[in-house]
Amino acid sequence: MADYDHIPTLKENIDRATVDSVLSLDVDKYKYGFETDIESDMAPKGLSEDTVRFISAKKNEPEWMLEWRLDAYKRFLTLTEPTWAKVHYPQIDLQDMYYYAAPKSTPAPKSLDEVDPALIAMYDKLGVPLREREILAGVERPNVAVDAVMDSVSVVTTFREELAKVGIIFCSIAEAIREHPDLVRKYLASVVPVSDNYYATLNSAVFTDGSFVYIPKGVRCPMELSTYFRINEKKTGQFERTLIIAEADSYVSYLEGCTAPMRDENQLHAAVVELVALDNAEIKYSTVQNWYPGDKDGKGGIYNFVTKRGDCRGANSKISWTQVETGSAITWKYPSCILRGDGSRGEFYSIAISNGHQQVDSGTKMIHLGKNTSSRIISKGIAAGFSDNTYRGQVSAHAKAKNARNFTQCDSLLIGDTCGAHTVPYIESRNGSAVFEHEATTSKISDDQMFYCQQRGLNEEEAVALIVNGFVRDVLQHLPMEFMVETQKLIAISLEGSVG
Amino acid sequence: MRQTMPVRLGPAEDTLIAQLTSVGASAEADRMTVAGLPTRRVESYHYTDLKTLLKTVPPLATPANQASAPALRVAGAYQLMIANGVVQGASTAPAGVIVGKSAGGVLTSRDDVLVHLNGALAREALTLTLESSVDPVIQIDRRCEGDAAHVADAVKIFVADNGSAVILETFSGSDAAHVGNHATYLALGKNAVVTHITVDLSAKASSHFASNEYSLAEGAKLRTVTIHAGAGLSRSQVFARFVGAGAHADFTGLNLVADGQHNDITIDIRHGVAHTTSQEMYKQIARGRSKAVFQGKIVVERDAQKTDAKMMMQGLMLSDEAEILSKPELEIYADDVVCGHGSTCGELDEDSMFYLMSRGIPKAEAETMLVRGFIAEVLDPIEDEALNEALNGIVDGWLLGK
Repeated sequence: MADYDHIPTLKENIDRATVDSVLSLDVDKYKYGFETDIESDMAPKGLSEDTVRFISAKKNEPEWMLEWRLDAYKRFLTLTEPTWAKVHYPQIDLQDMYYYAAPKSTPAPKSLDEVDPALIAMYDKLGVPLREREILAGVERPNVAVDAVMDSVSVVTTFREELAKVGIIFCSIAEAIREHPDLVRKYLASVVPVSDNYYATLNSAVFTDGSFVYIPKGVRCPMELSTYFRINEKKTGQFERTLIIAEADSYVSYLEGCTAPMRDENQLHAAVVELVALDNAEIKYSTVQNWYPGDKDGKGGIYNFVTKRGDCRGANSKISWTQVETGSAITWKYPSCILRGDGSRGEFYSIAISNGHQQVDSGTKMIHLGKNTSSRIISKGIAAGFSDNTYRGQVSAHAKAKNARNFTQCDSLLIGDTCGAHTVPYIESRNGSAVFEHEATTSKISDDQMFYCQQRGLNEEEAVALIVNGFVRDVLQHLPMEFMVETQKLIAISLEGSVG
Repeated sequence: MRQTMPVRLGPAEDTLIAQLTSVGASAEADRMTVAGLPTRRVESYHYTDLKTLLKTVPPLATPANQASAPALRVAGAYQLMIANGVVQGASTAPAGVIVGKSAGGVLTSRDDVLVHLNGALAREALTLTLESSVDPVIQIDRRCEGDAAHVADAVKIFVADNGSAVILETFSGSDAAHVGNHATYLALGKNAVVTHITVDLSAKASSHFASNEYSLAEGAKLRTVTIHAGAGLSRSQVFARFVGAGAHADFTGLNLVADGQHNDITIDIRHGVAHTTSQEMYKQIARGRSKAVFQGKIVVERDAQKTDAKMMMQGLMLSDEAEILSKPELEIYADDVVCGHGSTCGELDEDSMFYLMSRGIPKAEAETMLVRGFIAEVLDPIEDEALNEALNGIVDGWLLGK
């Protein structure tokens, strides 16, 4: 294992043991890399009009939805892949993957007992609670309603009756298309237009499942809603679509988690998430993204090309994105806020950790359109190993966005001298009363900090973990409670051994 | 899956292709035919879409037979002049200065349309070798004279080890709609100390493009000041590379953008070796319906440990229709570095205005005072008194709407 040849410069202050542990990183540490053997129902390989029709038929979709998909597919054919992001990967062969994979089981299980036990076992292994009574029995556990999506279908959604009592709709998007077509037609693609970008258009044509949330007027969602995404099948892409609508004066907090098995091939995950917040509504969207990042040589891993956008459509509405990015071979996502309503507010808190050969190009967009809108961006990037970690963010104030206010802080931390950290902000002020502040720093953990911690008896790795946790604290505190603990552990795992 | 879209060429591009072909630069002509002028899709021209902004290109310049009044005179300066790309005869050089001429462009090749064009079209370059410390300010007066013309000129300056100099370049000329494409290459020897000031004072109808390239050897100290107070469309590019340890540079600039103008300052600073430091400080002021663009990029290469770089962009909007667009980038590959950037943007502070006006200072005057305070940081470090005064004069003139 002690293969030092491919480390270009070995600094004198790094000891061998550290290097060893850096080298042994990622593969061994990815604990969600198992594969579950579940028989699957797959679409024919490749992308074509037939694939689109196949997916639509599988989902029993109405005619308008099929038309919508076909229209997206036609537009997709006219688009070319974007190349501006600071990520490098071989051309993705869209014809060499499956666009639909569903666990084969009895159609539409009525209750959890009818769900394939192997599936339940898999989610148990991932630590996702699907059994309502267990969750209910455990007093300390906070209430979380879960929608579990495996490959192309939603497997199970918990706590639906309880939510229905207050008028909340929480179901898979496929179900929503069938049961609530009016809502879906009104809001789908109203935030991310069908042909918004290459991957969003692809998603519009072939999306398979995802979550749908509707919070009626004046309702404060009594529990955290959560979707858990899992790619299991080989050579499949996951294309999920999430739509969250918060009517006036409502509130919802939504969590999203993702994992995938370890494979030496690259799998594509191209999701679209749309949020709509009406007058005085608030949506809090948290993600812990832990897709398989590839092995130590950069082989395999998920390509995570995601379009996430929230529309603060109503006055004084608020959308906040919190994300912890530790997985994926390549991350390419910019959760954004369109601050359309007067007095609306957008927030973005992000921790992006890259190690091994991961490439992260992530950030946000805050588009100020309404008067007195405000936004805040806190981004912490941590690069280790051979990774590249880029923050790319846009803040723009439209000419009519009087008194728009933005504060951006993006800090990067480099661990080791074979990684890179980059910051690419786009700051566009088109009106005199807009006040924008942006600051960014890049540094390594200072010797003073390390000395202080070690002198008090912490070993080197504990000291790094402590300092890094302090570095990301601004973001962590915006995560829901149950994610915070998980995240702190994740950070420890992702950085373990990367002391330098 | 990937298709290449054929580029639709406009009249400006057609003229450029013809001009490149006429001087025998067929490779550059081909490049222009294939790629055209950069659009906002080209990342380094994100905010300055030359394809839309540069509508026409006048014919290639012929030697000038008259000269307009000098735009800026600095008492006691040693004067050199390039008019319409032709290096003019000069008076006796001060001690330590060798003036000469060389053929062709001066910049190292890079993937940039302005650099390519200058390299192909500049016929001769003024060369300056500074062998020791030079006392008087060296002023290079670069002109676009006569009828509207496409001018490409070049200057190459070497500053020997331990040499020092203050070099001022001014760009001006007749009121015609010139397109000026200027290049300057400045290499600093070991422990050389140089202040390099470029001031664009060309006519509002003209387009001003300048690419300045710097190379800093061990222990060199450089201060650059890029001032835009002229052309309706301009882009100044600063490419700098640190090649010796212990070098330090302050890159500063003022982007004064008036109604109807689009002015862009783009910098690309590369720390290539360990133990180098840089500070970037750019101020932009926009009034009327105008666009001020700043794109800053600091690259810290793998070996450039112990780099300390700080970039700051501050924008001041004097009207509601103005736009200030900025993209301060950091690209860092070394871990033991301290790098930061900041960017702020806003209008004049109401409280300060109130403070001044409540003490009986008229509004316009109060504004001027605050603006002067805002830009002082950039001009104050220029020690030569006559030069400092001249530069302040330009800012005052701009503020008065000249």
